[in-house]
Amino acid sequence: MVISLEKKELGDAVSRVSRFAQRTATSLPVLGGIVILAGDDGIKLRATNLETGIDIKITGTIKDAGVVVLPAQVLKETSASFTGAGAVTIEHAGETAVISTSGAKSTLRTLPYEDFPTLPIPEGSKAKFAIAGSILKSLILSVAPCASVSTIRPELASIFIKAEGGVITSAATDSFRLIEKKVTSSGSIPPFTMLIPAKNAVELAQTIPDDEVTVLVDEHQCAVMWKDGVITSRLVTVSYPDYQQIIPKTFVSEATLLRKDFDPALRLTSVFSDSFQKVKLKFDAAGKRVVLDARNADVGTTAESIPAAINGESIELAFNYRYLQAPLSLFTTENISLSASGIGRALVMRGVGDSSLLYLVMPMNQ
Amino acid sequence: MLESVMNKSDPRELWEYVLTQVELSISPANFNTWFRESSIVKIEDGIVYVGVPSQFFRDWYQKKFHTLLLKIIRGVSFEYRNIEYLIVKDDRRKPKEVRRDRPNTELPLDEFYINKSDNLNPRYTFDTFVIGAFNELAHTAAQAAIKRPGITYNPLFIYGETGRGKTHLIQAIGNHFKKMYPNRKVFYLTSERFGNDYTDSIQAGTANRFKEKYRQYDLLIMDDVQFLTKREKTQEELFHLFNSLHDNNKQIIFSSDRPPQAIPDIADRLRGRFSSGMTVDIGEPDTESRIAIVRKKAAHHGIHLDDSVIEYIATSVSGSIRELEGVINSVVCHTQVKGIPPDLAEVRQSLRTFSRPTKTVSVKHVVSKVAEFYGIDEESIYEKTRRREVVRPRQVIMYLLREDFSVSYPTIGSKLGGRDHTTVIHSCEKVKREVIEDAELAKEISDIRGLLV
Repeated sequence: MVISLEKKELGDAVSRVSRFAQRTATSLPVLGGIVILAGDDGIKLRATNLETGIDIKITGTIKDAGVVVLPAQVLKETSASFTGAGAVTIEHAGETAVISTSGAKSTLRTLPYEDFPTLPIPEGSKAKFAIAGSILKSLILSVAPCASVSTIRPELASIFIKAEGGVITSAATDSFRLIEKKVTSSGSIPPFTMLIPAKNAVELAQTIPDDEVTVLVDEHQCAVMWKDGVITSRLVTVSYPDYQQIIPKTFVSEATLLRKDFDPALRLTSVFSDSFQKVKLKFDAAGKRVVLDARNADVGTTAESIPAAINGESIELAFNYRYLQAPLSLFTTENISLSASGIGRALVMRGVGDSSLLYLVMPMNQ
Repeated sequence: MLESVMNKSDPRELWEYVLTQVELSISPANFNTWFRESSIVKIEDGIVYVGVPSQFFRDWYQKKFHTLLLKIIRGVSFEYRNIEYLIVKDDRRKPKEVRRDRPNTELPLDEFYINKSDNLNPRYTFDTFVIGAFNELAHTAAQAAIKRPGITYNPLFIYGETGRGKTHLIQAIGNHFKKMYPNRKVFYLTSERFGNDYTDSIQAGTANRFKEKYRQYDLLIMDDVQFLTKREKTQEELFHLFNSLHDNNKQIIFSSDRPPQAIPDIADRLRGRFSSGMTVDIGEPDTESRIAIVRKKAAHHGIHLDDSVIEYIATSVSGSIRELEGVINSVVCHTQVKGIPPDLAEVRQSLRTFSRPTKTVSVKHVVSKVAEFYGIDEESIYEKTRRREVVRPRQVIMYLLREDFSVSYPTIGSKLGGRDHTTVIHSCEKVKREVIEDAELAKEISDIRGLLV
């Protein structure tokens, strides 16, 4: 195989694809590689870690068709070191491949292509639809931080995506907090639900373009296709909790405050929080304010009150400050509302006038 | 030879043997990557089903290892005709969860898992279903329907007011059915979801797929069919679906908050279909059943409540089982926060927030309803007569005014023909005492309460 292409084209493509290659060395070596295919379809790069897989097309000239697998890490660092414009030639013969630019020439050992698995592309028997890549990204990236990092409960380490009645909903929870994002779809989207591992979803969201993409969903696999690429991921097939039922319907007290007040107050309080990262949140109905305070035996104490409109009774709850801070950057509105449903019960955060995002967090034991 | 002593029908032993052979044929890296998480799920009719973690694996097994695996298992026995690959559910591989003490309270997610393929909530089973006089008939009908699905009672139509356990019962049927007939397909949905699904399929132009999807089920459970009111197209679709399932002896179960005849704006032919099988209602739970429910729910949460507390909750929370559950949940929450179950005084205190706002009502209205109920003249209530047939209704009126509407004793006395407040107290206490022992009186009072709403 002999191909020639632009340095930048190769560098960009390799950095996009390499994140899909297996990063741990314990498994099959070829999974840590990037496949370069030169054939009738043009030049394609491919990688997989058996969780997700990617296949993208790049522009370049094929002098001699063929296929080679090169270690992703080496290829990534090599192509990242290129400076300026100019062409790169990749020439594969026998057990090695030669990557040469005008001045440099590197010889890499190749990996066995016959061990490289096929990428499963679902037929879309459950759902197939077109959607703007930017919408899919926001659905995934808004909720992904709340998915569980532990894979002990695979459903909680996943993002739940559901379409029904023209609304697409994504949700994630690590059982301490829960986030739900809703988007009204412009095109027609068949009703479906899927559960995609959060790690896979984030990689997918960070790679797909903002333009229109096609989503295919099967029972066990999903894929996102665009004009010169496709990403496929396995789906989780356990059931997801019917989380709607834990969203409180009635509240004892609701505070509306400015996001720009709440954010710095949380940051100050967090400095004094204890090893459990605990801050106390007090709704002071009479004083029309919300008081945050924290106490750390080694550091000291702090308290800050911020003006707020309180609707309901006074209440005091304790939280892990990280759980309060995490969603703040996701709200687009200036005002946010904090709705408490009682002692030992969930607190709901929403942007005022924006029903597309809902965040729910459980308090700490007092 | 190894295979001669091996128990061939045991999937685990067979797979272990297969692995030892595969290990000899491929590189260790390949072996570790592709075979570490697989197993034989079952052997059926000569076909060996190998469970793999994802489609990546399934495709690769088919492409790369199929011939090898087939050769190995054929070497064991010619009974094995073929190998098929199944993607196993993740929870099969899930290790036991390690619980750690966390300062943060967790969301009660565990209670809300529903199975995606059949939509059933595994929490609803017959084990957690409390049977009492009020739902005995419905329960028996459900059991009969499970024993001979599609034949005995088809459709089974269960109705009753909200919060009486309809959903629990019909989902329990689904869950039990699944256990008894693992190869048959069950699907549970609400009529609203059915309607939405239908509209979506029309919009997406996949109406045919919609039809096929619902016709494949062996047991279809549709909750809250009263919401089909006025949705003509959806009703028509359900009508066709019903006929198709019914003709093929597939069991159908409906629930509604009222009997088929009372559902407004629904096509007559559908109404006819609803009532063509068995129609059974779930009534109001009696006190004993309520006590049993409270006890069971509390025990389910691992909390032991004092008998007096249970009785207090069961008798003082009027309304549906769902409201009862709400109270129990608050008790559970209290226990979790404080570490001990609440005592009677605390429950009484917290129940205040749960009680419905007291209705204000005119004394005259109550009098006229009660008089009407007992078939006596309204005027006689106000008179100073001590005729037996008047005394009882009058006492009931006093009791109701006091208990349900918190009217003061002196007011009740003066409104009912200028009686002394001590007379009123006596009457109220008397009824209160008797209502516990006299089932007939209790029934009368509950019927009157129904009239007063």
